[in-house]
Amino acid sequence: MAHQQGMDSTLFERRLRPVYDNLEVGNNRKALQESEKLLRKHPTLLCARALKGLSLLRLGRYDESHGCLQTVAEEKPTDDSTLQVLSFCYREMEQLDKIVELYQHAVKQNPGNEELLAHLFISHVRVEDYKAQQAVALQLYKAQPKNAYYFWSVISVVFQGIRGPESALPEKRKIYLGLAQRMVDKHIKEGKMETEQEAFLYLHILKLQNKYQEAWEFLTGELCAKLYPGAPVSMKFELLKELGNWRELNELLQQLLDADRDRWDFYKEYIQSSFELLRLSTQGVQNGEKDSLARCQEFLQGIIDSSERKKRGPYLARLELHQRMRAEQLPAEKLIGDFDEMVIEYFRLFGDKSCCTHDIALFLPSISMNQRQALASKLLLESGVTSTSLPKNKEQLQKHLCALQISRMCGSHMDLPVDHLLAFYTALKLHYEHGRSTFGKKLLATEMGPSDAYALLAANVMYDLSRRENKSDHLFEALCLLQYVLRNSTSNFHVKLLSLKIYHLFGCQVGAQEMYEYLDIKQIQLDSMGYVHCQLLPLGGRFSGNRNVYDATLKFFTNSYKERLEYIALTYRFCTFSKMEEFMNFKERLTNSLQYVACSVEAQICDLVGCYGNITQNLTAYVAMSIEPAEDRIAWHELSDNRDLEAIIRWDPLHEVDAAEERKESFDQEVEVLQVRSLMLRLFASFIDLYHGAGLKDSAPGTETTTLELLRESWTGLFQRLRLMHYKPLAQKFLVNLLPTRLHLLLDMPYERFFDDLAQLVLDLQSGSGKLAEQCKRVGDNVITVMELCVQTINESNESNGMDGLWKRRGNQQKVAATLEMLSLYAFLLSVLNDKLQVSSKTKAKKKPVENKVDGPQPISEKERSQMLQELMRQLKHKLEACDAAIRTWKAPVLPRDLSSFMSDMSLKPEVEATLIGDVSATFKDSHELMITELRNLLKDKIRMVAK
Amino acid sequence: MTTLRPFTCDDLFKFNNVNFDPLTETYGLSFYTQYLAKWPEYFQLAESPSGQIMGYIMGKVEGHLDNWHGHVTALTVSPDYRRLGLAALLMSFLEDISEKKRAYFVDLFVRKSNQVAINMYTNLGYIIYRTILEYYSGDQDEDAYDMRKALSRDVNKKSVIPYTQPITMRELRRQMRHDH
Repeated sequence: MAHQQGMDSTLFERRLRPVYDNLEVGNNRKALQESEKLLRKHPTLLCARALKGLSLLRLGRYDESHGCLQTVAEEKPTDDSTLQVLSFCYREMEQLDKIVELYQHAVKQNPGNEELLAHLFISHVRVEDYKAQQAVALQLYKAQPKNAYYFWSVISVVFQGIRGPESALPEKRKIYLGLAQRMVDKHIKEGKMETEQEAFLYLHILKLQNKYQEAWEFLTGELCAKLYPGAPVSMKFELLKELGNWRELNELLQQLLDADRDRWDFYKEYIQSSFELLRLSTQGVQNGEKDSLARCQEFLQGIIDSSERKKRGPYLARLELHQRMRAEQLPAEKLIGDFDEMVIEYFRLFGDKSCCTHDIALFLPSISMNQRQALASKLLLESGVTSTSLPKNKEQLQKHLCALQISRMCGSHMDLPVDHLLAFYTALKLHYEHGRSTFGKKLLATEMGPSDAYALLAANVMYDLSRRENKSDHLFEALCLLQYVLRNSTSNFHVKLLSLKIYHLFGCQVGAQEMYEYLDIKQIQLDSMGYVHCQLLPLGGRFSGNRNVYDATLKFFTNSYKERLEYIALTYRFCTFSKMEEFMNFKERLTNSLQYVACSVEAQICDLVGCYGNITQNLTAYVAMSIEPAEDRIAWHELSDNRDLEAIIRWDPLHEVDAAEERKESFDQEVEVLQVRSLMLRLFASFIDLYHGAGLKDSAPGTETTTLELLRESWTGLFQRLRLMHYKPLAQKFLVNLLPTRLHLLLDMPYERFFDDLAQLVLDLQSGSGKLAEQCKRVGDNVITVMELCVQTINESNESNGMDGLWKRRGNQQKVAATLEMLSLYAFLLSVLNDKLQVSSKTKAKKKPVENKVDGPQPISEKERSQMLQELMRQLKHKLEACDAAIRTWKAPVLPRDLSSFMSDMSLKPEVEATLIGDVSATFKDSHELMITELRNLLKDKIRMVAK
Repeated sequence: MTTLRPFTCDDLFKFNNVNFDPLTETYGLSFYTQYLAKWPEYFQLAESPSGQIMGYIMGKVEGHLDNWHGHVTALTVSPDYRRLGLAALLMSFLEDISEKKRAYFVDLFVRKSNQVAINMYTNLGYIIYRTILEYYSGDQDEDAYDMRKALSRDVNKKSVIPYTQPITMRELRRQMRHDH
């Protein structure tokens, strides 16, 4: 057959082209037609049949597609195009082992075929079967003695030793690595090593076995110099360190630093090696040999003295040496000089660079709080800008900014009284405006304004004030200021990030969305930056409006998930041994991203809450979500925190910020939130499945409710555990801190009880338990509680609106959203139960009489159950209407203070001021109105759902 | 004050303070992974002493015979770390690697309007080799300069004798196909 096809392959290729073309542009229906047309003429053409299978798959006709692909696979195709199409389909369906089988058959029929073997190899790579990889690579090498294949087998052996199932056993690891080394040794001996990646791999194998001396000899030998001239010099550092050869390392680094005087990596190693030498040569000092630290200091000073153009490197290195000497109780001051003086000198030289703040901040933790604040004052003085003077040029402005940022980091602003802070804020605002009008006039659209950082600092100060007073007006003013800055420097992402944060803090989702879009977050940023927006949307007040953001995020994740293994295959194709493990770890990190999993769960909840069709449509949509309640698909221990928390700039007091702790705390809580949300989803799905599940037919009689009962137990168990954990809400100390997670909201709102009681209701309804009426009452009471929470929250929001419409806004919106979420899910459930009971009471006559248990009460009749259900629906409808009535009265937030006087001390043109404040206010108003519209639409749908 | 090190996949999660810059494009994953897999040594990153990403350079080496050359695909420096000579450092790294790989020259494309960058590259010894018409598509298409610098292997500096005529995208594509 392969031969037959081979004869006219060009002809067939031409005939197949339209199918491929249509598939490529997503015209799947047309592709199907074209493939069927072709099959009428050539019914045995395998590739056309495979393509038909692909078209069906793309059209979502899975059963037909499976059948079609199965018959093609059974014929054990060997031609490349058919195999390609089939593997593509199996990749889409995540049936990676089928690709292995496919190529195994093909290879069996064409032993020694290089191309097929290579495909087989990659198919093993996809399932990470290193042993099989090794075998195929050797077959390949036998068929075609190419270096690539030889080293494919070497790396496959290495991976068996360090990643495969046997890698946990030290003796196995040793055997594999030893084997890998011998394989390469042999190749070297035969003079066959050719590329730098091969040389890299050899070094890697030696290092994995702790054979550092051999690695050193290879690295500094002739062959490596020839093959791998670009070997990173850091490899040498690493090996010399392992070998304890500090003297040589020290000398090497001096040479390197002489040539390249601004390399932090070199200085860091250099200083470390100097300390190690000191440790080694405590005896040497007596012989008159100079202390290695003294030589280090001399060397650094020499670089400083001989450099014409001042570079930061040696100065920072000197500070580092100072810091480390102090840490080891060595006389730093005696050897190097006064620390403050050195920092001031650094500031004098480099204070006009915006990185100066980061640089100085590195050394602040090593000095006392008093010394920090004193130093900060000295720097401020040094900047030459006083309370009565303004920066004379851009450089001085930058120095002033740096000094102010350092002051904040040293905690100098924290204890100032309110009026003092307000005056400080006003000064910052004026400095911003002065800097903008004096030095920022010819700004390119892509540049940040020279004085923008004043406004950023101002926003942080205003947050401090707002928090101290528990009032929103200062922060609201800061938001307006930031929005003003954004008009002047449209590309300043710091401003966008802070505005985004403030909008969320005030529950203004429209404003947040605007900033988010303005940031143009895309691709992998959707993962690393999703926490600034996507993560904050669920239960923020809207439902349907969030779906688009989830969609964009999920689209990125599903695409990368599909592609994840091809990246790794690529490293094999290019024999990039140095990147393989990195790529594999990256794949894990991406597929286990908390953001990915959380977003998927929220999107599903969002869909269930929002479904608005008739019962059949809703159930179809539900089935398509393919939630498997019995199956926990989340790899809880693998979840990965991919957030780039450092992307948001901050100058908060160093002694009050523990970034690592904040990351851990928030991540832990987010994982708990995900536990609750995913369990809620599964529990709810088990309710639905009990009545409409396809899987129920398979379960043995009497076990239909097992899943539900287990999940219910987990549900209450989870809440019990969470309450015992006593998580604290994330501290909101500074503007940049993360907003509280939803954990406490979920614990405080009656979620636990609501779904627990629903579980009992569903069970009682199914069994016709005598306690059904009681359970209905309990559920009904819960509904009243939830409804009252909704109404009460809105009333409170309206009442406090006059005093402060924003400070508690987000919290209130969250509560209302939570109540509506519960009621909406409940409405969906009731509609499903009602549908089922009506159907079953109609078909009741056909049913065999259930054998009555001898003792034990009679189950309640279906008719009675149906009536109770009707009553619940009536009650829910009534309560939903009450919620709707409350929402109708929900007032838009009253914005702080008299808006017209609000930025009067700015030198803004009146028309600018008016439009600016107008725009910000309009955003809040729009956001509120949009939320009301969405929530009311949601309620309207739910009322309709239970009205029948 | 910089640490130079190879760019790794994990850096993709951390490069936002650089990539939020409006002139820096965030590409799809396959773009980065292709470069990392194919030319790992051509993708280097500069890290600050505090561990922040200051900037990075992404490039490749390709071409036939005397067209074997290094190419700069992307070069970007975070706004906080400008005016420190970082771009020059990254460029010299790429030139150095290209020297070691025995390339004849290094080239790059730059927007005709990006005077800041053009000046910088000129200062680093690059010449405008030719103009490529409508290389950048967008609201308004823009021409690119193809800038070049000869490496030591090109003894007679043949690679940097400028074209007098601008070339179109179509011609450029044809040449590139020819090269591979």
